Amino acid sequence: MKSLRWKETLQQLFFVANGSGFIVVFCVCFAAMVTILEASFHMKMVIQNDSMVPGFAALLILKELGAVVTALLLTSRVGAGIAAEVGLMKVTEQIDALRMLGIEPVRYLVLPRLVACVIGAVLLTLIANMVCLICAMLVSDLMLGYSPAMFLSSMRIFVKFQDLLLAAVKGAFFGAVIPLVACHFGFRCRPGAEGVGSATTQSVVVASILIIVLDFVLSYTFSYL
Amino acid sequence: MKTETKVGLLALAALILVLVFASMMGSLSPFSRGRSLDVVYNYAGGIDEGSPVRVMGINVGKVRAIRFEPGFKMPDGEEVKLRLTISVDQKAWSSIRTDSRFYINMAGVIGEKFLEISPGSLDQPEFADGAVVRGEDPPRVDQLISQSYGLAGKLINLLEKNEGSVSNVIQQVDRLTTNFNKTLSLLDKTSKNKEMARLLDNAIKISDDMAYLTGSLRSKKAEESYHLMHKLLFRLEPLDGPAIRKFLQEEGVRARVF
Repeated sequence: MKSLRWKETLQQLFFVANGSGFIVVFCVCFAAMVTILEASFHMKMVIQNDSMVPGFAALLILKELGAVVTALLLTSRVGAGIAAEVGLMKVTEQIDALRMLGIEPVRYLVLPRLVACVIGAVLLTLIANMVCLICAMLVSDLMLGYSPAMFLSSMRIFVKFQDLLLAAVKGAFFGAVIPLVACHFGFRCRPGAEGVGSATTQSVVVASILIIVLDFVLSYTFSYL
Repeated sequence: MKTETKVGLLALAALILVLVFASMMGSLSPFSRGRSLDVVYNYAGGIDEGSPVRVMGINVGKVRAIRFEPGFKMPDGEEVKLRLTISVDQKAWSSIRTDSRFYINMAGVIGEKFLEISPGSLDQPEFADGAVVRGEDPPRVDQLISQSYGLAGKLINLLEKNEGSVSNVIQQVDRLTTNFNKTLSLLDKTSKNKEMARLLDNAIKISDDMAYLTGSLRSKKAEESYHLMHKLLFRLEPLDGPAIRKFLQEEGVRARVF
């Protein structure tokens, strides 16, 4: 813990969590709207009844949507930022300079970003899930005619408190993937502006793929809990 | 504002939202004043922790805990192995009396399980907080279905083995119904005939006469006559051919009797 640069970690946490808060909340609101309206449309089409839609939508939000959408947004914003920053440091030989000064670059650069991303992703996942649920509740009240009490009643059938905690665990894993992948490509950045751009693109693509794959693995694992 | 403060506020917001979620799920209810009861069953029909508790169809609490207690016995000695700890809101507590019954029911499209408490009568006392009560075990639908499958299998076997007899019985029943139908229509036609009407009138008269006769037979005079006849028959019973012949010979009457 001594080796962790707390001030830098806090700065990174501010960049990750506070900086991405608005984007995440804005996007998950629309994701919630689409989810509940689509679920209602399809349920009505198949069984002519959408009374269970609030429950299904809440389950989908907590199990998948909240964590994955947040992680993908963080990848595109934070992951790209870290990859570009570390890549540029590599290209301008700042990393070599750190080594010359006897500073371990992984501990100096990666660790604060890793801790900040894990904590930030957990916080944002929790907030995103709750905002998503509240937004779905509003949409179901205004557009589907289910009052908040009916929404909660339907939600309680499908959802447990631990689902939110498992979503936070997912958020932590996704949060760890983003800086590790970004720093990996940043440290291997080729010289020149093209190299930095390539490292950033590769970082976003690989992190996104890893998040989707990891989501499947974690969901499959959590299904046994 | 400092960066630390901004980050701290975000973390606080996340924590508050988690608490809101816990409250929405009913896991956290700091402002509700509830009481608890332990309801024991031998079969709980798939109820789960967190399932709602209802009194007269209104949600008043939830199942807090489910515990297996293999060694538990009721005061009357009955072994009951499953204990459900439920919480009930204070507002519904007075409706639950010692004669209330605790059912496990099912509701909704997907069969949500809940614990229904029937309201007790006012002359019965209320439960003490944390009391242990015996619940009504729900019917084992799985067993019923399994038995129905068995029964259906036997019926199919029976039908397959006796296919000829069954079809014969069905044909006979069909014929019987046809004949019965014909008889009924014939009867309907004949009841409109004059001869038939006269026949029915006569039948009514005969029935009236019979009623009069049987009424007379119940009179005291008829009873005396019956006793006299009985005595006479009792005396006549030992008499036979040789005895009558002997009597007539003694009386000097020559006759060929029997």
